[in-house]
Amino acid sequence: MKGVIFNILEELVIETAGIVAWNSILEKLELKGIYTAGQSYPDEELFALVGEISTSLNKPAPEIVGHFGEYLFHQLNQRYPEFTTQQTDLRAFLKSVHDVIHVEVRKLYESPNLPTITCHEPDEDTLVMEYRSPRQLCILAEGLVRGAAEYYKTPIEMTHPVCTHKGADHCDLVIRFL
Amino acid sequence: MSETEAYKQAWLREKQARLAAEELLEVKARDLYLANQQLMEQNQLLKEQQALMIRNEKLATLGTLSAGVAHEINNPLAFVLSNMDSLKRYTAAYNSLLELNTHWQSQNQLPPALAESLAALIEEQDLEFVAEDIQDLLRDTDEGLIRLRDIVQSLRHFSHGGNSERTLYNLTEGLDSTLKVLQNELKQGINVNCLFEPIPPIHCNPGEMNQVFLNLIMNACQALEQSPEPQIFITTATESGQDREEIVIRIKDNGCGIPQDKLESVFDPFFTTKPVGKGTGMGLSIAYGILNEHGGNIIVNSAEGKGTCFEIRLPVEEPQAD
Repeated sequence: MKGVIFNILEELVIETAGIVAWNSILEKLELKGIYTAGQSYPDEELFALVGEISTSLNKPAPEIVGHFGEYLFHQLNQRYPEFTTQQTDLRAFLKSVHDVIHVEVRKLYESPNLPTITCHEPDEDTLVMEYRSPRQLCILAEGLVRGAAEYYKTPIEMTHPVCTHKGADHCDLVIRFL
Repeated sequence: MSETEAYKQAWLREKQARLAAEELLEVKARDLYLANQQLMEQNQLLKEQQALMIRNEKLATLGTLSAGVAHEINNPLAFVLSNMDSLKRYTAAYNSLLELNTHWQSQNQLPPALAESLAALIEEQDLEFVAEDIQDLLRDTDEGLIRLRDIVQSLRHFSHGGNSERTLYNLTEGLDSTLKVLQNELKQGINVNCLFEPIPPIHCNPGEMNQVFLNLIMNACQALEQSPEPQIFITTATESGQDREEIVIRIKDNGCGIPQDKLESVFDPFFTTKPVGKGTGMGLSIAYGILNEHGGNIIVNSAEGKGTCFEIRLPVEEPQAD
């Protein structure tokens, strides 16, 4: 996982629980906590951080991850605003994730291990994002989508009927535009 | 301001500086990526052009060499061929002498002493067998000489298209007539798909052009011998080349393909992948020579087991003002 994700997680924890909490989390996990945006760090480190945050804040990990996803979207959007300015609405933005954003990410980072996302639209009000990633961070993806919906001020209803955590080979994020 | 507060502010400044540095790095990374991409493309192009230059250079050298060889062989070949004609006439003369003798012998028209010594001579020299064998020898020699003459002719074609007479000719007609000539070969279940976009006629030697098509289509047929669903695709089109408009003719098959290590040599004279006696290895080098002579070129793409595509490119002529 790229350092930028760790940086943003750190920001979130410091913002909500304070720097003392972040330091003690790092201390507990015996991590140095030095992350550089372009560098890759082991996925396990991120998962361990999330686990520890969930313990110390006394909140279930999926909730933390989902919330982090939303926050992550806004932070990434601050750093790379060109992607949201290119797309006029939420639907267009979500559809551009794989073919525009991920292509740009590859230009910046070597082997970023991006998930594969394919979109299809079964009807006018629905967009299904098929998420495939060995990291199984579909809850994070959910959070990112919610963050994007918030940014575009577009009300949505999201379900997650097919999920790798329930034994499927991919996840379906079904987004209904209200 | 408390010390903690001061440190927090310093930390925030540091954080801003880090973000700015990261942004700078990303801009550079993106530029580098794009520049690298461009370099890689250009490098690939250079490599291809270099390979092409080396090949052309090699073929040009071979052309000069084969022109020399052809010329040197051609002169003695001419008098050997002409001597053969005389020899055939002379042996016919000797044979009639032998026949006359047989006739006299059978009619008992010769004095017994003469008849006996003649018969002994014929027996001793085995002249009856010689008379018979000489026909075979002459026929074989004739065949050999004709083969030699064809090879010499092929070599001359390769080095410079022999006949330089050019007429305005539509190559689509050439493809059509070649396919007609090859009807017999194509009968063996080979499906020929033609997609001819209109192409402008060009000044060329129609006979030579047809020979190019013939060689290429024949090759395709041979490559398709083991294919379960043999197909040949022939397309014509005009496309923009590097600095000119070009007529592009592609002849593609889904046959056995050419191994990658052989691909570079297919236009070399006498290079063949066919078993001994099946091909002279001159077909493609002749095609190459002819197209070169016409200001065009030919390239080959092939994947083993999938098929081969020959692509002919000839310049579209500027309409001439009268």
